[in-house]
Amino acid sequence: MKAICKREIRSYFSSPIGYVCVAALLALYGYYYFMVMMMGSSSYISSVYGVMFSFSMMIIPIITMKSMSDDQKNKTDQALLTAPVGVLSIALGKFLACFFVFFTASTLGLLPAVAMSFFASPAWGEVIGNYLGTLLYGGAMVAIGVFISSLTVSQIIAAIGTFAVSVFLMYIDMLASNLSNAALSAMVEWISFNNRYNTFTQGMFSISAAVFFLSVMAVFVFLTARRLESRRWS
Amino acid sequence: MVEVKNLTKRYGGNLALDDVSFTIEEGSIVGFLGPNGAGKSTTMNIITGYLSATSGEVSISGKSILDEPNEVKKLIGYLPEQPPLYKEMTVKEYLSFMYELKKVKLPKEQHLGEICRLVRIEDVTGRIIDNLSKGYKQRVGIAQALIGNPPVLILDEPTVGLDPKQIIEIRTLIKDLGQNHTVILSSHILPEVQAVCERIIVINNGRLVADGATDTLAHDLSQDHRLILRAEGPEEELLSAISQMEHVKEAVSLGEKEPGVFEISVEGEPDCDLRRDLFHLLSQKDWPLLALKNSDLTLEDLFLQLTSSDASHAAEDGEEPEAQEAEAAGETEEAPEESEASEAEEDPESDSERKSESESDM
Repeated sequence: MKAICKREIRSYFSSPIGYVCVAALLALYGYYYFMVMMMGSSSYISSVYGVMFSFSMMIIPIITMKSMSDDQKNKTDQALLTAPVGVLSIALGKFLACFFVFFTASTLGLLPAVAMSFFASPAWGEVIGNYLGTLLYGGAMVAIGVFISSLTVSQIIAAIGTFAVSVFLMYIDMLASNLSNAALSAMVEWISFNNRYNTFTQGMFSISAAVFFLSVMAVFVFLTARRLESRRWS
Repeated sequence: MVEVKNLTKRYGGNLALDDVSFTIEEGSIVGFLGPNGAGKSTTMNIITGYLSATSGEVSISGKSILDEPNEVKKLIGYLPEQPPLYKEMTVKEYLSFMYELKKVKLPKEQHLGEICRLVRIEDVTGRIIDNLSKGYKQRVGIAQALIGNPPVLILDEPTVGLDPKQIIEIRTLIKDLGQNHTVILSSHILPEVQAVCERIIVINNGRLVADGATDTLAHDLSQDHRLILRAEGPEEELLSAISQMEHVKEAVSLGEKEPGVFEISVEGEPDCDLRRDLFHLLSQKDWPLLALKNSDLTLEDLFLQLTSSDASHAAEDGEEPEAQEAEAAGETEEAPEESEASEAEEDPESDSERKSESESDM
């Protein structure tokens, strides 16, 4: 697992993908931050980080799209699957590598707040809450993205599929409020990533939400491993 | 060492392997032969644990790939048909990744250095794999299989894409490795299999059609043991003189091959060597004997016979007759190419083999 994770991270940062993803995110963060905090003279830092988070939803599909599909396409999965490594280690290694790229971008996203702290005192509770929420929500999306990538050999399909899922999850709350059936509405609400994420943005740490996101990661890493295993039986 | 029992693999409705069984002893080099799509790669993929069999068992050193996958995978070095290379890495990075992936315990620098020397890639270790030529990529693929010094090596067409000199090097390497490894290699190039392997397994349409020692397989499977001779003399008299010899069942003229020289096929009784008698007869009559050879099948003839007869056999069974016929047609088209290629290769091979021998003598 360690070897796979290390190799994947190196591959992100020895090719432009990792840098472009991180740089694009940071540029967008900086731009939006500048627009709202400076030009708009707003002090509502949580909403700024909220919007910044939605940018990263667009980048995650790009980070995850090649993680599994590329292996299948270039037949490098033969090296992984015939090595004395379990499928779960492979899936976990891949997930952690993608997550690391996202983690780097998100952590660097704290820079604006750090810069501001020289001149004022930002609401660190909200900033940290947003950061943790972003990591958890993003981590769940990364796991889903890696799983979708394992379903196809095409990076494009993997990226678009992950993007579609992330947009669907973003707007699932709207769907819940419009459903007339109460049971169905509750079920849809139960899936909602946003509700759980919002707790963090208010500067509160919700254990149940954290467990939820961690469970989503675990489930999709597990599904990715099952998917690898199932290919042997095709 | 490697035991394959009743291996069957279905891809949907398509039967890729049909009840294939064989056992390979420790320290032998076995060649896997078969036309494209015969099931060679599938068999190799199943042995290495990349694919699962629909039914049947594979065990290596008595350990089943299903029960102890990680233990078994440690025993195998695998070079798939397409080397599994991460193209954006340098050779050194890639090999060191594979070293970690395989959880090898040997001293790293020394072990990898040794392998690079063996397959002669020491000069390119700092280069990006994507920029290497096909031959070098193939060698990196072989190097990757050797990491950890696994007792079983499975090489799917190891010499594809190499130039003739490299082919000789790799063959020599495989032969050397065969002294303390069990090697299974597949190839389309028959002289290669003949030069390297002690035993040949022929697979066609997912079935094992022949299995035997390289030297005797062709002889054992030949149904007729005729002699073909060329002699200078009057055709009719030649024929009648030979036909009247003891133990000769039949002599047939194959026509005039050179002015005044006739080719004659002589069929003797089974297990009866007629060559000396023929020589004496012809020299007595003062008909110069210009050529004399066994009509035993060459490996190529044998390969064609085995692979095409099985296809027609399967067609008779009513198993997807159209597909089978199409395959059979494809084979016959392929056949001349293959034999030409192998002939062309035979000569430089023996030349350079001699060369490499003399080099090593020095």
